[in-house]
Amino acid sequence: MTHERTHRHFLELIHAHQSIIHKICFVYCKNRADREDLQQEIILQLWKSYPSFLENAAFSTWMYRVALNTAINQTRRPGLLLDTSSSPEIPYDPSDSYQLSEEIQLLYKAISKLRKVEKAIILLWLEEKRYEEIAETIGITVKNVSVRLVRIRTRLAEIITQLQ
Amino acid sequence: MKAIDLDKIKAAWKNENSFDDKRLSLEEIEGFLSRKSKDISQLFRKGLIFDIVLKGVIGLSLVGIIVLFKNDLPLILVCLGILLLIAWAIRFQWLMAGKIPKAGASDPTVRIVLEDKINFYHQRYIKSLYVGALSNALLILSGMIYYFYFKYGEIRPFQWDDYLVFSAAIIIGFALGAYAQIAQHNFQIKQLESCLNEIDEDAISRLTLKEQRNRNRRLILMFLIAIICGLLLLAYFIFR
Repeated sequence: MTHERTHRHFLELIHAHQSIIHKICFVYCKNRADREDLQQEIILQLWKSYPSFLENAAFSTWMYRVALNTAINQTRRPGLLLDTSSSPEIPYDPSDSYQLSEEIQLLYKAISKLRKVEKAIILLWLEEKRYEEIAETIGITVKNVSVRLVRIRTRLAEIITQLQ
Repeated sequence: MKAIDLDKIKAAWKNENSFDDKRLSLEEIEGFLSRKSKDISQLFRKGLIFDIVLKGVIGLSLVGIIVLFKNDLPLILVCLGILLLIAWAIRFQWLMAGKIPKAGASDPTVRIVLEDKINFYHQRYIKSLYVGALSNALLILSGMIYYFYFKYGEIRPFQWDDYLVFSAAIIIGFALGAYAQIAQHNFQIKQLESCLNEIDEDAISRLTLKEQRNRNRRLILMFLIAIICGLLLLAYFIFR
């Protein structure tokens, strides 16, 4: 395949599967500016990693893996005075420009309170990925996935109850 | 009860199609490909390239010194020695840039990508920050030589206190440069370590903790040296 065709094919695949990127950005970012930054970074990393996909099979699985890796590896930069304390809590604002249902907004708000890897696990669970796939994506055992999911789901349910 | 609620929400999640209204066009997606990455690997690479360019400029300024002081053999020998040091440092930084783990690699797991970046930082990149801080010291050194040239047309013989002042300036330049870069990178690496800890459900491995403690000790030592040098410099200006 020529570079031109590969490029075109890549754009079409991303266009068709872009809801994955939107979901990950909503899960990992609390405001619109951060979401746009992450969206751009994910698409860039997908393009850089694209040659490795050609040997694999399911595009959405590969896309999840690269996108989650990118989201988890995003780091905040230090401020001018190198303050290493945690940043002030930014209110979660999922509503801008998207008409998400109340139920889903509540879910995003609850997920935003989880830790980075917990977010990845619950996201893959919501997407009905098999435990084996979740284990392979994160790098933990299938048993560990099962144990953690019980814990994360319980925590998520508690957060949702508090938010309601 | 809680699990049942979540399963209901999971079904709603599957049917959610709000994103369909805000789909990116092919042109918008293509536009993202021409922008620059903000990934930490890219930060490592940018830092190294900036330092290579800076060292190249310092190298050129030293060549200028050799031309200006062509009759001063000891100074020429010192400059040639520093040029060799710069050549080694540039080669070191260049090779380091080639070893930076690629971001967003698709095959490894989240754990492997995090481990690769954290290990690269602690085992390799931290050394390059010290090599990078050399640039500050060399910049001060070449700046001082040029100052002498334009002010006096020669390098005057040094007294013991001159050695003290100039050594202090060079050491402070090196220490502050190293401290600032290490502090900035540590801030970001700690965020990745926290994710890895989350995967391992364990604190940082004993080895990493030991490395961290050693690194902190080195930083404190360097900072102390910088403070002592600063105080000596201050004392010199007060009591000279």
